[in-house]
Amino acid sequence: MRRKQSRFSRLILAAAAATILFPLALIALWSVSSVWEWPGVLPGGFSLRGYETVFADYQQMPRLLLFSAELSLAVAALSTLVGLMTARAIALYRFPGRKLLLFGTMLPILVPSTVFGMGAHVLLIRAGLAGTLRGVILMQTVCALPYTVNILTDLTSSVGDGLEEQAQVLGCPPWRAFWAVSLPELLPGILSAMSMAYIISYSQYFLTLLIGGGRVRTLSTVMVPFLTGGDRTVAATYAVTFLFSVLAMYLVFEGLIRLMARGKGSEPWNWN
Amino acid sequence: MELELRHLTVSLNGREILHSIDCRVKNGCFLSLLGPSGCGKSTLLKTIAGILPQTAGEVWLGGACADDLPPHKRGAVIVFQDVRLFPHLTAEENVSFPMKMQGIGQQERRAKASALLERVQLSGMEQRRPHQLSGGQQQRVALARALAAQPNLLLLDEPFSGLDEELRLQIQKLVRRLHDETGCTTLLVTHDKAEANALSDRIIRMEDGRLCPVSV
Amino acid sequence: MLRPLQRRKIRRRLAPYLLALPALALLGLFAAGLVSGLMQSFGYIPAFGLTRFTLDYYRGVFADAQLAASVKLSLWISVSSTLISVVLGTLLCTALVRLRKVRGFTLQTVRLPIQVPHTVVALFTLCLFSQSGLLSRILAQAGLLTSQNQFPNLVFGSSGSGILLAYVWKETPFVAYFVLALMQSVSQHLDEAAATLGASPLHTFFSVTLPLSMPAILRAGLMIFAFSFGAYELPFLLGATSPKALPVQAYIEYIDPDLRHRPYAMALNGIILLLTLLLAAAFFLVTEHTAKKLGGDGHAT
Repeated sequence: MRRKQSRFSRLILAAAAATILFPLALIALWSVSSVWEWPGVLPGGFSLRGYETVFADYQQMPRLLLFSAELSLAVAALSTLVGLMTARAIALYRFPGRKLLLFGTMLPILVPSTVFGMGAHVLLIRAGLAGTLRGVILMQTVCALPYTVNILTDLTSSVGDGLEEQAQVLGCPPWRAFWAVSLPELLPGILSAMSMAYIISYSQYFLTLLIGGGRVRTLSTVMVPFLTGGDRTVAATYAVTFLFSVLAMYLVFEGLIRLMARGKGSEPWNWN
Repeated sequence: MELELRHLTVSLNGREILHSIDCRVKNGCFLSLLGPSGCGKSTLLKTIAGILPQTAGEVWLGGACADDLPPHKRGAVIVFQDVRLFPHLTAEENVSFPMKMQGIGQQERRAKASALLERVQLSGMEQRRPHQLSGGQQQRVALARALAAQPNLLLLDEPFSGLDEELRLQIQKLVRRLHDETGCTTLLVTHDKAEANALSDRIIRMEDGRLCPVSV
Repeated sequence: MLRPLQRRKIRRRLAPYLLALPALALLGLFAAGLVSGLMQSFGYIPAFGLTRFTLDYYRGVFADAQLAASVKLSLWISVSSTLISVVLGTLLCTALVRLRKVRGFTLQTVRLPIQVPHTVVALFTLCLFSQSGLLSRILAQAGLLTSQNQFPNLVFGSSGSGILLAYVWKETPFVAYFVLALMQSVSQHLDEAAATLGASPLHTFFSVTLPLSMPAILRAGLMIFAFSFGAYELPFLLGATSPKALPVQAYIEYIDPDLRHRPYAMALNGIILLLTLLLAAAFFLVTEHTAKKLGGDGHAT
């Protein structure tokens, strides 16, 4: 009975994996095809013209990638810092308004960024932040906040302040205690939160478009017109480039997390 | 260092845990605080150490009021029930930690840490990380670490729970021996009467946040 | 002059508020954005000289057949994609839990869709299901089609099926991942007990595992419902000319050079806001209810 069950589960997983990987493989294939006309089930030919087109202007693409990465790293850093502080308040203290804060930080996930964006746009215009990098970073940080708070609250709760208490009675001043004994424990989770926030920011299209007003150009905003354009090879190439750049950063974060977990005997937080 | 508690009252989350505690402990005394779980023993230790501020009353250490001193300046070291070794540091680094706070140089720290680990019969374990040590070994590192802080007052919060019988006896003997060697005022919190009897110079019973009149 | 002890006690009291300050500032911006949108939807736009509160724009939305159709389309897409994703996601989660030792590769694969933006999902939906897509080509090879136009207009059709499929691809793994921690813990603790009490694995699943995992499943469902209702990218890239999904229509009204359309844009946003606030309320109720039943905060997923 157990074996039959796990066979069924294995089937489901296989189906899921296939459903997830096949479309991505399809795009990858399309990106290296020279021409692939209906009703061909396989590409008519292979070439790198897609990549040549996308990377044609050697200045633009690398600079665009770098800029997008920097923007998202800024959002990741900011939202994780705020998330860490907020998580500490929620996890380690009991105070009136705690529930409100907890629920409040969840709101930007439940209320769409389109509503938030269009409503806040006029406020940003008045504050002179519309069409600026700072404005985009600010808005994206709001959207990433719920994720970082969520990840870090559970983590802070489990790490607790016990180690800091111990450090303090051993003669360590409070701030140094956090830095010296709690932070190392929180580091893997902090990296996880940053990774998540990075992905959210990097994938943002609507907010960057609306708030950036065309002046803040990320890979996400640049590539959309090509995605629905006539040349599917170029579209696929942009998609593959995007996926690789996200994956690359994700692997960097994962690598750092594993590095931290090494030699501690604690479980790497790789499901976050 | 002499410890004195004057009308010490502590509330947590609106509930009063300790009710006007008065107590005086002579310098160098080994005192056991005996009481059932939940009667406020740990809270008392935390208040003495300064981690938990009291609602009313005063804590006096060495003849001076300690209330204005933050925990890292009081010299009242707690060895917690859950050991609390720093996971990212080796045994030697754990023991060196308080010495680092005191500004002692690296060479000297290492030497002293090794000496302390030897005293608790853990020579050779310097480079091990906490997760590579058994429960009993972790307890001993925690004790060595507490001593490294050169405490005025050593507070032990049920440090032997979770250890098997034989280990328990071993560490009990160690604690008493260390006390005799250092002459440090020690407060042991426990719910085990036999243990209290075996180790202490003096026993105080505690119930529901109050100290019972001394019977020993 | 306060004594250090009193100062420490005050600092302790203030600490959480100080820590929460940056988040409160960001949430303040968020709230301000929502309020600003709402005010504009009620016709209060001083910059345009409109200072009377009115429900006219909302009435206008429902009076306009096209706009009303947008509301219906968005609801249809959200409800269906959420239901399908929740069922499939729970199934996927079950499989992950059952096979206790899942290879890292499989886990990472299930996580993969999180990193794929909706824009790319739109692209491969086109590659697969558009009239010039792979499915159409396969059918043509099998002799069932002779021209592209014979393939049903899945993607750009008014049914929104393309959008639906795209959402399901993205959201099923999300549900699986969201519910995983809880289902794993429930399974770990209770499966053996149930078995020794004579329950078959299937019975255990439906009477123990599933009910106890329900809070996480519900919350995941509410989250993806809210998201799919108000998201822009997929309906923008895969939607029909008409009717357009609510967020797309809202944006079109928003950037209309004729500024008189602005309050209509905000009214559409107002409808999205109302629905998602209701979903948020449901979300919090589920969280609170779970917390009361099981203790703790209930906020841990």
